[in-house]
Amino acid sequence: MNVLIVEDEKGLALEVDEFLSHEGFTVEHARTKRSASEKIFVNNYDFILLDLGLPDGDGFDLLKMLKGMGEREDAVIILTARGAVDDRVSGLEQGADDYLAKPFSLNELLARMHAITRRKHRLESNDINVKGLKINIQNRTVTYNDERIALTKKEFEIFNYLVLNKNRVISRTNLTEHVWGDVLEINSDSNFVDVHVKNLRKKLSAYIPIDWFETVRSIGYRINI
Amino acid sequence: MKLQVKLALYNTLTKLAIILFTGLLILLSIEKISYNHIELRLEDDERETLKNLGSKDINSHLTRLEKYTDYNILQEEFITITPIKFQPTATNGNKFTTETRNIEHNEQTYRILTHQFNFNNHSYQLEIGVAITSIEELKSIIKRFTLLTLIIALALTLASDLIFTKFLLAPFYQIIDRKLIKVNDPLNFDYEKIKTSTQDFELLDDSISSLMKKISALFSLEKQFIANVSHELLTPISIISSRLENILLQEELSEAGENKMHASLKTLNRLKSIINSLLLISKVENNQYDKADVVMIAGVIMEIQEELEDRMDEKRLSFTNNMKYIYSIMGNRPLMHTLLFNLVNNAIKYNVPKGSIIIADELKDDVYILEITDTGTGMDQKQIENAFNRFEKFETDERESYGLGLAIVKSITAFHDIKVKIDSVKGKGTSVYLVFNRE
Repeated sequence: MNVLIVEDEKGLALEVDEFLSHEGFTVEHARTKRSASEKIFVNNYDFILLDLGLPDGDGFDLLKMLKGMGEREDAVIILTARGAVDDRVSGLEQGADDYLAKPFSLNELLARMHAITRRKHRLESNDINVKGLKINIQNRTVTYNDERIALTKKEFEIFNYLVLNKNRVISRTNLTEHVWGDVLEINSDSNFVDVHVKNLRKKLSAYIPIDWFETVRSIGYRINI
Repeated sequence: MKLQVKLALYNTLTKLAIILFTGLLILLSIEKISYNHIELRLEDDERETLKNLGSKDINSHLTRLEKYTDYNILQEEFITITPIKFQPTATNGNKFTTETRNIEHNEQTYRILTHQFNFNNHSYQLEIGVAITSIEELKSIIKRFTLLTLIIALALTLASDLIFTKFLLAPFYQIIDRKLIKVNDPLNFDYEKIKTSTQDFELLDDSISSLMKKISALFSLEKQFIANVSHELLTPISIISSRLENILLQEELSEAGENKMHASLKTLNRLKSIINSLLLISKVENNQYDKADVVMIAGVIMEIQEELEDRMDEKRLSFTNNMKYIYSIMGNRPLMHTLLFNLVNNAIKYNVPKGSIIIADELKDDVYILEITDTGTGMDQKQIENAFNRFEKFETDERESYGLGLAIVKSITAFHDIKVKIDSVKGKGTSVYLVFNRE
């Protein structure tokens, strides 16, 4: 899958590029509105990561241009530090698929991209298999031998996020932010998420051994598959 | 006291003084004029009497050295001629006195002319009196009339002054009301001029408008500054955070290195939270949010209860929702959510294990009160006073707290015109009251 990063901060663009390339994406980079519009005009992208504050104009214009072209399937995720209140709303209203406020976690970005892919392409198999557990993203359920494991909304979110970012330590803060969003001050309580994980593990371990669901001391959690 | 009333009172008092002065002047001059008039008449009568001394009627009395008395039927005038001890040079000038005399059991006040003269080698004293009761009556009538005029004039001027000053000052009060009291947001200031023909008010209006222009310029500048700060600070944080995440992906990283990376990410996250909290406060104080949502308080509380259920379970807290009213406000839903979330979260954070949280509400004539009570560690008076200050922290078993939660609460409540009251007893618990104005 190919991604266009429209971002004037070279440092950030390079990091996102490195991360996504590592995940198997093909990444292109545009630093100005002008070069971005040229690229968008020529190529189709699976994802356009769009910064709003560009040196030669507003990222919203690119979004408008893209939507005006028709027949385009490019998913747009707005990445901005502008932090204006209305930006999120108007971004989504103008057809952006998601919105991430800077600074964001690359894991979170990846999770959002996966979610969009699922939504857009209605993947044939919605089920993900983890050690005999079936995760159905559409219905947001986890089953074992067709028996549904009763998880709360948050427990499902956590499990899904950890599976998506498998074999990688996910910190509590990262996890908290993913599950709770931008609720301010919340991030300060780093054990916020522990309760949920504790319950999640208890529920899963009733069905299968969960030695693959690892607690990384003082940092967070990792699912090794 | 209102300016209008003051002006009216001043006018009334000056008019009162003028009327009193003229009243007194009239009263005094009437006395003077009428006495003068009476005295002239008395002198006429005197000349007439002296001319008639030789007449039969008077002469018969005089020759017998008897007192001669004459008065008319109503005893309004009298003449007496009394023989006195002989004085060779008795003829002298006239003397006027005011005296009360009893004539035939009828007491009256008279203006009396006294004159001594010699006639046929005898001295006599002539007294001619005219009753002045009528004048006294006139005086009292004038007094009453003056008083009445005074009262009527006072009432009339007071009323007319009040009406006139009200009319005169109407633009002034309009300016105060529209340009000062009703202005919450300098950006939505009403620059339309208030109609007035009074130059001073025009000046006031113009001055306020130009002041407002300056303030709103500063306001937009601040808005711009906030936007810049958020961009300039959050972008480098974003770069560092992404960089650290990428380093974490490297497989040759030692465990100690990995731990340090995670710790750094956590610190970075803290920095981000502080910046975001401060930005939120500034944006709220800078009126960058709209209040276009209908926010149902009970609904938000239920949402928050659901979100925080696990945390309460973990501390084995009991949560009781005693809310009785479905009360809605026009406000900003995300902000109201943040506000109530912070308060309930604090009630959990500072609570004791197995403690309780009670939400209650009350609907009064002019206010709606939401009460969040916990059985936590509580605060003393000094802590309550400082609670809303930025970066104020209390002892808590939570590892990290930035002390911005209540500062956020303060700005959001001020933005929505909600009053916050805290009742707390150290070691017993805290009640937070949100008082919503019903208008």
